[in-house]
Amino acid sequence: MTFEDWFRKDRLPHIFCAGCGNGTIINCTLAAVDQMDWKKEETVFVSGIGCSSRAPGYIMTDSLHTTHGRALAFATGVKMANRKLNVVVFTGDGDLAAIGGNHFIHACRRNIDMTVVCMNNQIYGMTGGQGSPTTPRGYLSTTTPYGSAEPAFDLCDLAIAAGANYVARWTSYHVKELEKAVLAGLQTPGLSFIEAMTQCPTNFGRRNKFRQVADQVEFLKKHSLLKVKRDRLLLENKEVPADMFVVGELVRRSRPAMGVSP
Amino acid sequence: MKLAIDETRCKGCNLCTKVCPYKIFREGKKPNRRGIVVPELDRPERCANCRLQKLYGRRLCGICELTCPDQAIHWVEEEPYEPHKVAIEY
Amino acid sequence: MTRTEFWQGNTACAEGALAAGCNFFGGYPITPSTEVAEHMALRLPKKNGVFIQMEDELASMAAIIGASWTGARAMTATSGPGFSLMMENIGFAAMTETPCVIVNVQRGGPSTGQPTMGAQGDMMQCRFGSHGDYSVIALCPASVQEMFELTAKAFNLADRYRVPVFLMADEIVGHMREKITVPDSVERVARRELIRGTLPFAAGDDLVPGFATFGKGYGVHVTGLTHDERGYPCTTNVKIHHNLVKRLVDKVENARRDVADFDIINPDAGDVFIAYGAPVRTVQQVLHDNPGRKIGFLRIRTVWPFPDFALGQFKNARRFLVPEMNFGQIAREIERHVRVPVVSIPKLGGDLHLPGELMAALEARL
Repeated sequence: MTFEDWFRKDRLPHIFCAGCGNGTIINCTLAAVDQMDWKKEETVFVSGIGCSSRAPGYIMTDSLHTTHGRALAFATGVKMANRKLNVVVFTGDGDLAAIGGNHFIHACRRNIDMTVVCMNNQIYGMTGGQGSPTTPRGYLSTTTPYGSAEPAFDLCDLAIAAGANYVARWTSYHVKELEKAVLAGLQTPGLSFIEAMTQCPTNFGRRNKFRQVADQVEFLKKHSLLKVKRDRLLLENKEVPADMFVVGELVRRSRPAMGVSP
Repeated sequence: MKLAIDETRCKGCNLCTKVCPYKIFREGKKPNRRGIVVPELDRPERCANCRLQKLYGRRLCGICELTCPDQAIHWVEEEPYEPHKVAIEY
Repeated sequence: MTRTEFWQGNTACAEGALAAGCNFFGGYPITPSTEVAEHMALRLPKKNGVFIQMEDELASMAAIIGASWTGARAMTATSGPGFSLMMENIGFAAMTETPCVIVNVQRGGPSTGQPTMGAQGDMMQCRFGSHGDYSVIALCPASVQEMFELTAKAFNLADRYRVPVFLMADEIVGHMREKITVPDSVERVARRELIRGTLPFAAGDDLVPGFATFGKGYGVHVTGLTHDERGYPCTTNVKIHHNLVKRLVDKVENARRDVADFDIINPDAGDVFIAYGAPVRTVQQVLHDNPGRKIGFLRIRTVWPFPDFALGQFKNARRFLVPEMNFGQIAREIERHVRVPVVSIPKLGGDLHLPGELMAALEARL
């Protein structure tokens, strides 16, 4: 079986724009799920609202497409009521960091045994490109026409502080690494959080001088700083570039987890 | 095995042209019936997975398949299977 | 064999849920419903159930919907402000036809209002609170005994019709301690499973589709978007949306007579009291105090869908008197169905109507 077999083929092609990275991240997640030898009937995909959250609709398992920001609360109910089910949550930056921020930190605190994949495109794509809590300072969106004035959230730091057992960040360019990170997340008991930085050519790239899809992917690639490199810079007391984000496995630990299948 | 692009799914984003280490995918020139410029394949027999999957018994590389956001790239069995002579430039 | 207990209304509610097989409770503390959660926290783990205290009411409602899809009998309990927060996901439960039970021990509103005083101000909110058209079932207990019985019944109705079912109690009934007869077992109506090979949101004559429980290989996609019979989003098709919402409303409204639960006393009287919830107790006192007088009484346990056909049984009714602990929310609903005057007797602030107040309304000239 390959990850292709997890798609509802009758529903493809999906609604994502040309060049949207969400499809890539779904591929990587499903490739990891495929390696887990999970049965389709024992796997549930949960999502909230937004571009990213349309993903479960294309996956051939039981799937729950819920209200904006609440995916983790729904997933908590699913997992706690039936621990045998493997729960994977797809979410986006607006869904998770803005409206669902409270559910996010509490799901991390409870450390419920599920995997959360956040497709962070740094914008509200589905509503037409409004600024989100992860839009970097100075970047343009329809609600930040003079450049975002607010500092952005670091979702991984948030998950680490709140207590998730596994936290990693990769981009839609690093497909193999992302697949491995999701796999590690699926294997870790407790909450695993994988942030996948992704391109949104239609609403983010178009307004921020990324003329081609590949330009933004190239940007993500160039601005990702490997964790080992960051640690080395810190060790040598050198400055970590402010415009780069750290990629790699950021935390792996074994805090007590809830809802682990007996 | 040979590479194939599913024209019914491809949206013409050309990400595959960026990620293939052998540069097998090239930007297309003519829009298809749906108005999408689907990438072309440049000597696809160079693809490592096409050549060596049978030998190793597992998926090799596969970056293009994973990256394609529209699930449009996959491998199809060739009937009958013929080993290709391949010249790889480094 | 039954046993007799002296319980608080909220305890009886939790015990009623347990008797009905409730095995998942997601909640958030709020006066005056907290005792339901406390009692569930005490009892559920011993019965292999799951109690989880969520981070807010939005999450509580979400969690019980998630749990319900795995086949659990799920419930939450809240009050006033928490009920407002739940509205978002109550709409989701209505759209996705998720069986769940929501206990609202009503308190004085709006906003934080009177946390420790009773009210019936959420009767319209439970029916129309979430956006869009849908229909729900709401039950109103008037005693500790009914807290037990109607909670158990709520689970059966939720599973039968695949709707969110509300137990609209109030602080008075919730915090009251009374004698209660606890039966050994209560009737349980099982959720009807989806027949394999059929579409998960295609309904038969009763308009209620079979339930595709998660984890059984149905591969169902559940979405709050307008969906077709396969469950796939279909948001711009006029016909599909119309038919879906019409079915959501009709499946409950068509069951009005099956769901209805009411008592009629003196159907040939001229003056008729209509009450639900705690004010029922005052009307009963008035009837008890005036045995010689013909006073009609319609006491309603299922406020939604409103049993309008019951009003027709009062053939000689000259007027309907409706004591409520709100400014006439259900009195307005009754007005839609009758030609004679409807006198609303509102009382806010947390006290029950006094028998004298109802008598004064009875004596007052039209």
